[in-house]
Amino acid sequence: MTAQILNGLIVGSMYALIAIGFTLVLGVLDRLNFAHTEVFMFGAFAGLVAVDAGGIWWLALPFAFVVGGVFGIAVEFISFRRFEGDARITAALSSLAVGLVIVDVTQKVWGTEPVGMPIPGWVTTAGFELFGMRVVYVQLLILGVTLALMAALHALVSRTRMGRNIRAVADSPDAASLLGVDVRRVTQHVFFVSSALAGVAGLLLAFRTGFANTDVGLTFGLKAIAIMAIGGMGDLRGAVVGGLLIGVLEALTFQFGIGKLGELVVWITMILVLFVRPEGLFGGGVHVKDVRA
Amino acid sequence: MIQDYFFFTGVNVLLAWSVYIVLLTGNLSFAQGAFMAIGCYAAGIMTTRYGVPLALAVPASMTISAAVAVLVGFPALRVRGIYLILVTVGLTFCVRIGLENFAYTGGVEGLKGMAGTKLWHVGAAMLVVGALLFLLSRSPLQRILDAVREDDRVAASLGINLTYVKLLAFGAGAAIAGMAGALYGHYLIFVRPDNFDILVSIFVVLYVILGGVNNMWGPLVGATVMTLLPEFIRALQEWRPTVFGLAIIVMLLLRPEGLLKFRMASARWSGNAGS
Repeated sequence: MTAQILNGLIVGSMYALIAIGFTLVLGVLDRLNFAHTEVFMFGAFAGLVAVDAGGIWWLALPFAFVVGGVFGIAVEFISFRRFEGDARITAALSSLAVGLVIVDVTQKVWGTEPVGMPIPGWVTTAGFELFGMRVVYVQLLILGVTLALMAALHALVSRTRMGRNIRAVADSPDAASLLGVDVRRVTQHVFFVSSALAGVAGLLLAFRTGFANTDVGLTFGLKAIAIMAIGGMGDLRGAVVGGLLIGVLEALTFQFGIGKLGELVVWITMILVLFVRPEGLFGGGVHVKDVRA
Repeated sequence: MIQDYFFFTGVNVLLAWSVYIVLLTGNLSFAQGAFMAIGCYAAGIMTTRYGVPLALAVPASMTISAAVAVLVGFPALRVRGIYLILVTVGLTFCVRIGLENFAYTGGVEGLKGMAGTKLWHVGAAMLVVGALLFLLSRSPLQRILDAVREDDRVAASLGINLTYVKLLAFGAGAAIAGMAGALYGHYLIFVRPDNFDILVSIFVVLYVILGGVNNMWGPLVGATVMTLLPEFIRALQEWRPTVFGLAIIVMLLLRPEGLLKFRMASARWSGNAGS
């Protein structure tokens, strides 16, 4: 039982990293970035390239961070910059198309079968006992990296000048730009940060499963979009708590032997939340105000 | 073989129109594949297990499909349009996982034994739906849909019930997709849950976008060309997602004012487009 909950927290922390990206872009731009799931997927392949080239496996993590971020800036340039004003659906479709291209090209290069991650065996198999529960090093790595990234993001948003600009733009792009904030620059920052986190999340998932897989964008990453709605659109706390909650709930469905239906948990929870509390569990997001518009 | 191409083209045109109807109210649905699955399985179970004739099973499955749409569409359409995207994506996954895990629907193995769709059935369905859409474009309802899409606050202030209009369009789209699914299943004889993957729903939306959403002919042309072209050009079939994706990106970049500024010819001529 505790082992399952630990597993759930680990999967949930990866959900949270992806959901943070969705919610940041939605909070600042009020747009859905559908390429996000595929940048997440590509993080594993970026890590694969880094391990093959460099040999030091953990250096793949910063590499996936940077590659993810660069992809994010490219996605912003292709799918979001031109569509200003009231063109939410256009931007969503354009980013969806970018995502399709990323998957297809990745599949043409690496094939449609999962590719093994060349990392040392002890990372995924060795571990230690903690309060009678077996903890594998890779689980520790995932929890450590995600916690560190979330703490860094929190500090960035609440303590730095860049974070203050991001909050200003999220509150009102017009007012921020009148006060001298470069909205376009802030948008680029947001895309870099959100996609970099997704890239790392993709690599962590590949470390855990041992494979880089082109399917995970749609099967794993897309759940984060529901988690964003569960936590409250544009709310960072909501994305983290929602991700952990869904991870644990999914793990518990395995515990109770209805694991096949685990995939349904996130979507059913989202529909229930929309019925009962459309603004999401936290509802601190900036777009709560016009939720009924 | 050539008959199959025409059949799948017809099914895709029906699906494209079902996306178009929902898009008329400014909402995007990624659940048309799921509604197709619901229609297909509902009709298939009726004809193979209970001996219902196909002519009755098709309208019944359309009703079931529309009922599901209204049920899941209500919480989403009551709030902002962005939620419908999330709910429809979720529905697509739920339907597929549901079909895979219940023995009653045949599980991963799928459902078999349906038969009876002729090529002309799908042609007749296209004619009926096309005629209804044409009548719609001449009717006051079209202007209500335009108002809801272009500015929902103004529409609401004119006494239009936004949720009702959006639900109506979403339900009608689901019914058409359900019909397409019922015909599809009874043509293929054997269907599996993977026939209704999320990618089916995504591609149908892309057909509509590529064809254009100015009027009902755009989805027709988009779905026809995009179904038939890959059958005849080998390279296109291999690189299908990339080619489609790039085509969509380029098209959207060339029309940056956004897709939904359609049917606004009068505004464009008078020189205040985009305002």
